[in-house]
Amino acid sequence: MTTIERAVEPARTSIRSARAIERRRLLLWLLPPMAWFTVFMLIPYAMLLYTSLGHVDDMRFIPGLSLDNFVRVFTVDPYLGVIIKSARIGLMTAVLSSVVAYPLAFYLAFHVRTQRLKFLIYLLVIVPWWASYLVKAYAWKTILGSGGILNVGLQELGFVHEPVRLFLYNEFSVVMTLTYIFTPFAVLSIYAQLERVPTSLIEAARNLGADGWMIFRRIILPISVPGIVAGAIITFSLAFGDFVAPVLVGGPDSVMISNVVINLLGVAFDWPLAAAIGLVIITLGLLLISASGWLEEKTQTRF
Amino acid sequence: MDCVTRKLHRLITAAVLGSFGFSSAATAGGQLTLLCWEGYADKSFVEPFEAETGCKVNAVYVGTNDEIVSKIMSGGGTADLISPSNDTTMRLVNADAVSPIDESKVPNMADFIPEFKRPAWDVKDGKLWGVPYGWGVIRIIADASVVDPNTDSLGFLWDSKYAGKLSMWDDIETVYTASRYLGFKNTYDLSDEQLEQVKAKLIAMKPNIRKYWFTTGEMGTLIASGEAIGGNSWESTIVQLRADGKKVADLKPKEGRGGWSDSWMIVKGSESNPCVYPWLNYVSSAKAQALAHKVTGFGYPNVKMADELDENTKAAYTELGMTDPATLTNVDWWQPVKRRAKYLEIWNQVKAASN
Repeated sequence: MTTIERAVEPARTSIRSARAIERRRLLLWLLPPMAWFTVFMLIPYAMLLYTSLGHVDDMRFIPGLSLDNFVRVFTVDPYLGVIIKSARIGLMTAVLSSVVAYPLAFYLAFHVRTQRLKFLIYLLVIVPWWASYLVKAYAWKTILGSGGILNVGLQELGFVHEPVRLFLYNEFSVVMTLTYIFTPFAVLSIYAQLERVPTSLIEAARNLGADGWMIFRRIILPISVPGIVAGAIITFSLAFGDFVAPVLVGGPDSVMISNVVINLLGVAFDWPLAAAIGLVIITLGLLLISASGWLEEKTQTRF
Repeated sequence: MDCVTRKLHRLITAAVLGSFGFSSAATAGGQLTLLCWEGYADKSFVEPFEAETGCKVNAVYVGTNDEIVSKIMSGGGTADLISPSNDTTMRLVNADAVSPIDESKVPNMADFIPEFKRPAWDVKDGKLWGVPYGWGVIRIIADASVVDPNTDSLGFLWDSKYAGKLSMWDDIETVYTASRYLGFKNTYDLSDEQLEQVKAKLIAMKPNIRKYWFTTGEMGTLIASGEAIGGNSWESTIVQLRADGKKVADLKPKEGRGGWSDSWMIVKGSESNPCVYPWLNYVSSAKAQALAHKVTGFGYPNVKMADELDENTKAAYTELGMTDPATLTNVDWWQPVKRRAKYLEIWNQVKAASN
């Protein structure tokens, strides 16, 4: 060993030990999120998978390695049909929420001048969330029912002579209720994106002679697409997994997949099939999120 | 009985209370742990019992019969007494999870309606395995101004006159109802072929369905508001509607009606707990059952119970025929359904079928 090497050696050691300390520190930092991830994500998913591969015999869970439950989800009536129906209701809710939310978000982002008014409207969007979901869903019964405000109003005005029974207890009322309840998510999501539209762009466009419609179509709308997509994903997911609206305002055929899962857990005690349905939905959800992530990435405008 | 009335409510309460259920506060008289429905250990009648016997009662509420079964099967020590329904009692007896009842230690049973002294769902090998408690008959109800109160068949449920005007219970009891109408005697053990016929019959009823109800209170509201004019429900719906002045007919279909009945059962190993029999005898007394009726609105087997009720409650109870032996004829009492998952699948298929 040369003198130089001898002189360098302690430094190397100290670098090495510093790295070791850093590694240890890193581990220490990583430990909580890793633990969180393991306890709240990995283990539950593993349990779900484990449950879905077994079956129930006379109220007892028998572990196994069978894919029968997944086959049942796809081949036996009504599971796949109900998943598709739930997806349809989720999609309608997402589209309607976006349509309802966009003008409000637009107004909030571009036309409200004072901060105080902006805050007030913002608050009005959020305030319904302080009330219980049940109460809000229930309120729609009193609006849409045979003796509800809508029917009484229509009769008073002479448009109809008998209560219109088409308003309540069908898919329409389910979508209506879900749209009302979940629209705030779409508003906030679209608003957050609209806030990012640089005023300089709009001013420049105006200077170059663009009219309002053109500015909206060529600048604002393209920039806001990721916000619409994000809001739609949230409202779709919430509506897809809902089980209260179909029970409260749904009709005889408005059963949704979460209702079926609840039944399987409670009445039938068929946890394996319920777990299999859960996994199918999670997989579909992952696909959807990946697709939307890709879409958001594609549509994100860079400045 | 999957106590339906408050299925959701129960699930939530069970989840919330379940975690606090076992808080121990030992007293001289000993401890008693109950695994039962909400309302089966209400303080209005538990407190007098505790004062009288010195036994401390811990109640753990459950939402479904399966919860009772799975808790008891997964190991002892979880409870001393349980209150399963008649579609579950025999499953526990056959699984050797409960101990027989020594009737000499429950003298109040002498006052029971004869049908509840040794009901089929509690008797095996000549021994009694449960003390009957809350019970009820699944009523077929109708707005008396629309449907003839003397209608004696379930057939009216399929009458196209009532398109979009009926509401049936969102439960496999409705599967049983259709099976009874089809004349199947083995309601609780139907073959695949019979189940397919039942399914077709239920889908044929769908044009008449306004909504499948989820709680008995909801059914009351549907009738009161005119959204529905009939269907199946529990006694409490009739009581609620009559109290509001609505004329509601309590039909007696010749095809029979469903019946549920809960029983107190002793978890194996707990028969030596000195608090077990005092509780069984206490809850079988007319006084305690009257207090329980105030909480749940259910029927109770002690014939003298009605005399302990206040005027109005007694009148409503009697009008429902709860004290009349005739009510208990032609009741198709619930039994364990071996293929309940299949029944439920049929029921979900019916619900998912488009009108």
